[in-house]
Amino acid sequence: MSARPEPAPPLQRLRPLLSRLPGTPAWSEWRAAALAQLIAVGLPTTRDDSWKYTNLRLLERRELAPAAPRPLDASTLADLPARQGPRLVYVDGRFHGALSDATLPAGLTLAPYAALLAAGPPPLPAAPVPADERLRLLNACMACDGAQLALAAGAAPEQPLEIVHVATGGGSYPRTRLELGAGAALHLIEYQIGVGPAEAFVAAVSDLVLGRGARLTHTTVQLSGERTVLVDDSAVRVGAEAHYEHRLVALGGQLARLDLHVVLDGAGAVVRLAGVFFADGTREHHIRTLIDHCKPHGTSDQLYRGVAGGRGRGSYDGKVIVRAGAAKTSSRQSSRNLLLTPDASIDTRPQLEINADDVKCAHGATTGTLDEQMLFYLLTRGLDRQTARALLTYAFVGDVLMRLDPAPLRQAIELRALGRLPAADTIREFVA
Amino acid sequence: MTTISKGEVILQISGLAVNVQGRRILNGLDLTVRAGEVHAIMGPNGAGKSTLSQVLAGRPDYEIAGGTIAYLGEDLLALAPEERARRGLFLGFQYPVEIPGVNNVYLLKAALNARRRQLGLEEVDAFEFLAIVRDKMTLMQMDESFLKRGVNEGFSGGEKKRNEILQMTVLEPTLAILDETDSGLDIDALKVVSNGVNSMRRDERAVVLVTHYQRLLDYIVPDHVHVLAGGRILKSGDRGLALELERRGYDWVLQEASAA
Repeated sequence: MSARPEPAPPLQRLRPLLSRLPGTPAWSEWRAAALAQLIAVGLPTTRDDSWKYTNLRLLERRELAPAAPRPLDASTLADLPARQGPRLVYVDGRFHGALSDATLPAGLTLAPYAALLAAGPPPLPAAPVPADERLRLLNACMACDGAQLALAAGAAPEQPLEIVHVATGGGSYPRTRLELGAGAALHLIEYQIGVGPAEAFVAAVSDLVLGRGARLTHTTVQLSGERTVLVDDSAVRVGAEAHYEHRLVALGGQLARLDLHVVLDGAGAVVRLAGVFFADGTREHHIRTLIDHCKPHGTSDQLYRGVAGGRGRGSYDGKVIVRAGAAKTSSRQSSRNLLLTPDASIDTRPQLEINADDVKCAHGATTGTLDEQMLFYLLTRGLDRQTARALLTYAFVGDVLMRLDPAPLRQAIELRALGRLPAADTIREFVA
Repeated sequence: MTTISKGEVILQISGLAVNVQGRRILNGLDLTVRAGEVHAIMGPNGAGKSTLSQVLAGRPDYEIAGGTIAYLGEDLLALAPEERARRGLFLGFQYPVEIPGVNNVYLLKAALNARRRQLGLEEVDAFEFLAIVRDKMTLMQMDESFLKRGVNEGFSGGEKKRNEILQMTVLEPTLAILDETDSGLDIDALKVVSNGVNSMRRDERAVVLVTHYQRLLDYIVPDHVHVLAGGRILKSGDRGLALELERRGYDWVLQEASAA
């Protein structure tokens, strides 16, 4: 009796693919060395503190290699809210010209990925690679394209810039870099969507840099497919007097996680983060934020709402660090979570590490069921129980959804969010 | 839709006993309310006034330990809170709940349409509804901005009470129970609220005012006044009883009852 050999673990199976990726021999060597480092430590597990609530066990049996390109047409994007400006579409991490409208406004430039490759690989991280760095490193190993964007100082295009990441199956490694010059202003809308029923894995990485006084509004809408594992890691550097505002709407994926690492790198920087997730069925949504106040007079504000139903799971794990030099920092964290069923669960962990005097920091976190007094009040006004529950559930996330703009985007997202609630139809008119 | 004529019994409470968190709060309460009447239920703090209001509206965590409540001939206790509301029973809360994110106007429209469906009437659309609600808002001296706000969200105590009465005037209930609607109101707000209630007095409707103070009854003159203490109605009378209570307090009623 001959046992069939165990298939190689997913990371090992990536090895033969590296030689097919673009770049100089230096890049090939770098990729091989980086992947070897990753194989040595493996993907993060729940034993790693920053991954305590996110279990990536699903990936043990998942193909991490990119799938063969599939022909796509415009119907792929038919479900997205109408676009308001230019749209860059990346399919499995590769730019897709036919689906994109890359007519960019004055001041905004998109550099070819080749330009990045020409600059040569970055230094390898020191081994062993910390848990926080591993998915970033995996992305760097596997990425073969990406948006390299720069907005000139003072430029402030009116229309938002959209980046749509489409996953068709297998692994995809989207990569975005956006630099805003001094005083520049932009709204970046990112969508994560899926096509087809195939299992997919998306390890996305964004690097955002805001110059002095720049303003970036960044909206992330997760609409990934039912069998997609999405890990999205954004690193943001916010300069003096600059404003970074992020909104997350997590409505898709089998397991979707957002990591936001924001450094307030200049005096008077302002960071406002808000997000909402709906984890129903067996879906999982995880949010991890790390806000690093390095300079004085910084402000950070976090507002996260999670809803879990069925056997859904979710987490908010947020840490605020106030460094010694960051006097007069003001920071608020709010994580409120709603469990609709006994089998649903949400973990929340707001953390503060303060190393400066004269700071104002507050945090609050709750996880609970629908408020019985509110429910009773609505019932005494003649609403049926199902409608009342749906209404309260929707209201629970309302203060986050309200932040979305422009109005057509907000309305489109509200309707989608609504569609994820039990008894959505009964409360549609409350939202319209 | 059946019509209700003056003098018909709307509410008949017999021997009602209620436990709250295992403690007996109401104990053998009897009360009959007929169409066209305004009743005032007065009593010292902790007498069970609010418990009675909440039980009538169907609060789920209060345990009915005995007695019956008939509403328009039906067993009220067998009806869910929303069914009571649709049949025309309205509770004005002592502490109206703030529900951020649920719009005032949409709630009120949904409430009105739930009632209208029950009555076999056509639902009102957004346009018709706005006309109705604007009219009532004028009566209640409420600002247009109210339309856009969440239910009781950030309202002052007085605004919340006005909002309760506004809801009542829109829903046109058969039986309105107003729990301490006067508490926390200044004299101007009290007049506005009283105007709202008085505008609702009809032969086919009854109002039960639950209050600690006589002051409200200067503006809404009741047909019957009851003293609720120790979980029962200890004494009933006309408006004169309320004035006597204001003069003499509640102790004499309690003493009279224990002597009997």
